[in-house]
Amino acid sequence: MTDAAAALSPMEAAQQPKGLTRAFAYAALLAMSFVMLYPLLWMISSSFKPENEIFSTGSLIPETFTADAYRRGWNGLSVSFGWMFLNSAVISVLAVVGNLMSCSMAAYAFTRLQFKGRKFWFALMLGTMMLPQHAVLIPQYLMFLNFGWVNTILPLVVPKFLAIDAFFIFLMVQFFRGIPRELDEAALMDGAGPLRIFFRIILPLSMPVLATAAVFSFIWTWDDFFAPLIYLNDIEKYTAQLGLRTFVDATAQSDWGALLAMSTLTVLPIFVLFVMFQRLLIEGVATTGMKR
Amino acid sequence: MSVNEAPLYRAPLWLRFKGQLAGYGFLSPWLIGLFALTLGPAVSSLYLSMTDYSLMSSPRWVGADNYVRIASDDPRFRAAMNVTFTYVLLSVPLKLIFALAIAVLLNKGLKGLNWFRAIFYLPSLIGGSVAIAVLWRQVFASDGIINQVLMAVFNYEGPSWIANPNTAIYTLVALAVWQFGSSMIIFLAGLRQIPTDMYEAASIDGASRARQFFKITLPLLTPVIFFNAVILTIDAFKAFTPAFVISDGSGGPIDSTLFYTLYLYQEAFTNFRFGYASALAWVLVAIIAGFTALAFLSAKYWVHYDD
Repeated sequence: MTDAAAALSPMEAAQQPKGLTRAFAYAALLAMSFVMLYPLLWMISSSFKPENEIFSTGSLIPETFTADAYRRGWNGLSVSFGWMFLNSAVISVLAVVGNLMSCSMAAYAFTRLQFKGRKFWFALMLGTMMLPQHAVLIPQYLMFLNFGWVNTILPLVVPKFLAIDAFFIFLMVQFFRGIPRELDEAALMDGAGPLRIFFRIILPLSMPVLATAAVFSFIWTWDDFFAPLIYLNDIEKYTAQLGLRTFVDATAQSDWGALLAMSTLTVLPIFVLFVMFQRLLIEGVATTGMKR
Repeated sequence: MSVNEAPLYRAPLWLRFKGQLAGYGFLSPWLIGLFALTLGPAVSSLYLSMTDYSLMSSPRWVGADNYVRIASDDPRFRAAMNVTFTYVLLSVPLKLIFALAIAVLLNKGLKGLNWFRAIFYLPSLIGGSVAIAVLWRQVFASDGIINQVLMAVFNYEGPSWIANPNTAIYTLVALAVWQFGSSMIIFLAGLRQIPTDMYEAASIDGASRARQFFKITLPLLTPVIFFNAVILTIDAFKAFTPAFVISDGSGGPIDSTLFYTLYLYQEAFTNFRFGYASALAWVLVAIIAGFTALAFLSAKYWVHYDD
């Protein structure tokens, strides 16, 4: 996967807008970028302002710089935000592990193994990608309630080990198809079994798609609000998202500084991943139409 | 979409048996999930949708009663439909227009494309989180950023957009439009597929830039527009978090942000009407399926597929 944007063909170069058009395009894009980023920058800068300064000025640079809002927010609920970040991290990491394992196994079966009913199951897999979660939500909840899993992380994590996010299977199927079959056939001749081929050939060659799936999987789980909302009841079990939403109620918006500080912190891990894997994420969206 | 063709040689029998075993072995986590988490629950929720069930007693069969009540005697369902359709019909076209316009601008070979692309994509990546919904509450609050700007520029004292039932939904539309970036990236990828010699030929024939856009770019991009429109529509019907956070889970003021999924959530998890909520879920599935089918049926009139 190379970035087509980097190099311009001679024709494209010749078609580049000149003079005024060019200046206008840049002005429009810069203005647009500013409008897009302003709320985020405001959130970050306000989190470092003293409370009385937040609404008195729209300036992005704090006159008095203080991290006090972070201290107030961090301990603003009966359970520290640190604990809830840890909960979020555990759930998100387990989701990544589960998705990578179960989805790569399924994708391997669909692309490399011969077995009866393969096409049927593949079609069914594509079908499940279309089915909105709402159709299965309530029976899933009742089932987990029966298992005694409500108010534990199990309903949030176990489904990932059962390849519930069929989208990632689809993503990996696309990638595995591009790996030359000669490689596994040669290994087969050497007496390697399916397990060995999977671990020694397919997975090592699939790092790009595994990384894409891992990053998206982490971000989506980190950001998820609905599943933790219905499955986690005790505040000690809350994820950062749930904590933040509880904090909105608790402060009744009287402490905007602390609220914005904690908001900034919950977005921070995603922002770090975005900076680190920006190209991977954008290519993932461009090639598969991944949303969000 | 077909899976790979069979290999050229025929493996010996023992190997083929091993193949079956290996195939189902590798597929087993997904298969268990398929039955336990998707097919089983789907059948079960269809059944529940025809019952009255609240955890207190076992489900009581009521036939089509839930569906009849949804269709004829549920003002909150109508409110939810109203809100959701307003949201879908406004946010999807606006998002498409922004995404396409910016993609076309970025595709002109300007320097800094990667920077702009990243900046415009960032809101899509984080826009669904609680933090952004919290931020949005502030942006449109009575003393929020929007009103500060209105005051500074037009000396106009804006209302509290979030607390006003006439405007609350539009703040959520704005939040959705702010996240046009991922569609923009897909448009950019589509624009790169258009051969440059088409524009070259059109330029030589003296076609203006506007004409080139409407005669070349737009028609060749219709498959991508179609794809984006379908995905965005499905996503918009399923929106939940922003409405929940902005209204404290109530869908207020006066049900003006009662998204369909929020109503469904309230029925299931605050009122514990699991039967009725299941029926609501299937109505949502039917609406989404209907919209998707309509899009595919309309495609042959406007989506350009030959080349």
